Amino acid sequence: MAEQHAPIDRDLIREFLQATLPFSELDAGALDRLVRHCLIDFQPAGTRIFIRNVTEIDGLLVIQKGGVKLFVQDEAGQITLADFRGEGACVGAMALFQNAKASLSAETVEDTFFVKIPKDAFFEAAGANPAIPRFFLKTLSETFTTKAFTEIRQRRNESSDDSNLYLFSLKVGSLVERAPVTVPFGMSIQDAAQVMIRHSVGSLLIQEQTGKPCGIITDIDIRKSVALGLSMLAPVETIMSAPLETIAETAVCFDALVSMMAKNIHHLAMTSGEEITGVITSHDIMLLQGRSPLAVFREVSTRNTYEGLYPMRAKTCRVARTLVEEGGRAGNITRILSIINDLMLNRLLELLLKELGPPPVKFCWLVMGSEGRREQTFATDQDNALVYADCSVDYLQRAAEVYFEAFTQRAVEHLVRCGFPRCPGDMMASNPKWRKPLSAWKDTFDHWIAAPEPKEVLHSTIFFDFRGGPGDSSLAEELRSHITGRCAANDIFLRHMAVDCVQARPPLSFFNNIVVEKNGEHKNTLDIKTRGLLPFMDFARIMALRHGIRQTSTLERLDQLKAGGHIPNDLAQEAMAAFEFLQQIRLVHQMDMLDRNLEPNNHIDPAQLSALEKRTMRDAFGAVTKLQSHLKEAFRLQMA
Amino acid sequence: MGGRLNLPQWLGRLLGEGRRQAPPSAITANNEACRKLDQNRALEDCVFTVLDTELTGLSPGRDEIVSIGAVRIRNMQILQAERFHSLVKPDMPMPKLSTLIHRITPERIIQAPPLSEVLPGFLSFIEGTLLVGHFVDLDMAFLASACRRLYGDTPANPCLDTMRLAKSWQHRLQGDYYDRYDQSLSFNLSSLARRFGLPIFPSHDALHDAMQTAYLFLYLVKKLRSTGIKTLRELHRPMRTQTFGF
Repeated sequence: MAEQHAPIDRDLIREFLQATLPFSELDAGALDRLVRHCLIDFQPAGTRIFIRNVTEIDGLLVIQKGGVKLFVQDEAGQITLADFRGEGACVGAMALFQNAKASLSAETVEDTFFVKIPKDAFFEAAGANPAIPRFFLKTLSETFTTKAFTEIRQRRNESSDDSNLYLFSLKVGSLVERAPVTVPFGMSIQDAAQVMIRHSVGSLLIQEQTGKPCGIITDIDIRKSVALGLSMLAPVETIMSAPLETIAETAVCFDALVSMMAKNIHHLAMTSGEEITGVITSHDIMLLQGRSPLAVFREVSTRNTYEGLYPMRAKTCRVARTLVEEGGRAGNITRILSIINDLMLNRLLELLLKELGPPPVKFCWLVMGSEGRREQTFATDQDNALVYADCSVDYLQRAAEVYFEAFTQRAVEHLVRCGFPRCPGDMMASNPKWRKPLSAWKDTFDHWIAAPEPKEVLHSTIFFDFRGGPGDSSLAEELRSHITGRCAANDIFLRHMAVDCVQARPPLSFFNNIVVEKNGEHKNTLDIKTRGLLPFMDFARIMALRHGIRQTSTLERLDQLKAGGHIPNDLAQEAMAAFEFLQQIRLVHQMDMLDRNLEPNNHIDPAQLSALEKRTMRDAFGAVTKLQSHLKEAFRLQMA
Repeated sequence: MGGRLNLPQWLGRLLGEGRRQAPPSAITANNEACRKLDQNRALEDCVFTVLDTELTGLSPGRDEIVSIGAVRIRNMQILQAERFHSLVKPDMPMPKLSTLIHRITPERIIQAPPLSEVLPGFLSFIEGTLLVGHFVDLDMAFLASACRRLYGDTPANPCLDTMRLAKSWQHRLQGDYYDRYDQSLSFNLSSLARRFGLPIFPSHDALHDAMQTAYLFLYLVKKLRSTGIKTLRELHRPMRTQTFGF
């Protein structure tokens, strides 16, 4: 029927499909044609909609609201769950493409509304746009992953409008911290240069006899005067630039930048009313812009006090933010975070060694857990330990105990002030249990490996991700070699870890097509760390230990496993892509929380994700299943 | 059936045009088809038209239709392809209050055809189908009054009211609890859609409301079917079970 005089402005079914993969890939005309053929169906919860190998599929069902479970049922009536599908997901695609009967049985688990796309209309659309068959036939396709990354970035940029607009919002006055350094007319160039060194400034204002600044000299002017062979005793006003270019302190940084560029200068005197209150340089503005890793790296390495180091953690987070916004991949971002954190730790312990004097014996600080894996995000606490050289004599051992107790307690305290909270499980060097000589550490690991109790396996996993921090790294290396040898030779221990990795996770429900927590404070959110990332880390750790790989980061371990031919190429590829994607989602989520002044956590609300992100996330979880079945096979775990 | 007539219409009547004509075949055909409907057919075999009208007010005698929307249900599935949607230019000026509700402004309505031009198309759209609406009596009162005025006959389509279906479903859900006639439970379309967890359509647009009603209808029919209702006649029955209080 024609829609005569139809005032139609919105078709919600069209809007729904347009926001749903892969139909969002269709152009407007194709989408219109598709929408016209759609039917809307409803099935109450508990309706068996497909029976495997029996039901003829005459169209694709897109879930508009509700949810469906897919399963296989054997002759004995035993049901094996294959998948859950939620809003925006499709049911029946496989059968359509194979032109066969339903490949899985399906039952609604909630009251469910479907948008049904009849077979012919579906194939017409699929024929016209290859993105559609590609979507259904490929798992974790590279194209979609890349797009999902872009989408995360865009979402990120929309939400943080301030970050790139600082040039237009930040006042010049807020950048300049110190009063200008002024010298009077008639001072010699040499004396002026000495003043600059004393105050460590790059510019000087030159005062008239009246007291009014009338010009400026900078490093460049001094350099020029040397190049021209001017007398060092010549008065400074001979090389100054005048008149003084000024800018009001209420002006925004953008104005200052424009003024500098227009006049090709690098310094502006900042005024408050008539008075000159400071000098702003192009470097100040660049520093602001360049929340660059290098700038922070340099800043950390020049800090000479504890107090100077405390605020650096916040700056590191800003660096990470910039990197995320610029499209950095999670693997690189966490690596850079780790490098800066390592440097901070280094500086801190250096200061501490200066304060306490040299240690009685050689030692090495060990970083463990996420820090050990170089996978730190915004929400991170301390996981560290300390190893020191075996003491030949008794009094040395006692001295070491006293020294390292004081040393580690102070170090942990300073780290807390830097913004690394204490480990809730007290896995820190300040705990005497985790501070011991090399031989004692070897015994501890031997004990874990030889007689594994389930509880101990769980507790010890983060220790197996240790790497050497500041100190004598040969101690850490030796410990690593020791463990690598032991683990490879002892399958039982790894088997225990593998069992833990493949075991089913706590009860969960699904929402918006993603498995989420059923109850409690984090209801309907997904703990992306335990549900998503942990299985990857566990898998990489187990397989790395098994094959004597010394690397600690998950991506490196997977890469090494692949290179060594220990796991299939495509499994490694998929695992690495999935891991990095989940890590990225987690980083962005934590950044959002920081923006909203919340404590960063790992609980993702699937409702906040786009269709593409959800889809990619599902695929990422699919990779977990593959890793688990690889483990089962590798360790011959006979489990249901 | 007053309705104020404008001058050309009034002259037309005087000259024996319009009203004196035999009822157009649309309504005749519709009513003939309706007489053949079999109450014992399975619901899957029935064709339903879910309709909604936007009005200038609530009095069929005084107020007029400004928009009609309708969608089709066959085989208990909503068809995207079969829809009817039209604005209608009323004879009376648009009351401000109604514009506030359905957001149809006098400027938009001025372009629209009068009901006499819209009705034939609508009647052939609903021909021989069962009508479904939310508080359908109101929509039907307006349509009947218009048809009687224009054609001297009223549509004979059997009607189903989703509001009454919803009440009987709610009753089944709650059982015989004392709060059976809980007046705080709202039965307006959008409250029901939210309560039953249906996809939500923006309200007060004739087509969207018709669509929302169609979703509600699918939901209720399939929910009630689990209690053994399979034919049209059986569907009518639950609506009669509970009349007290409404």
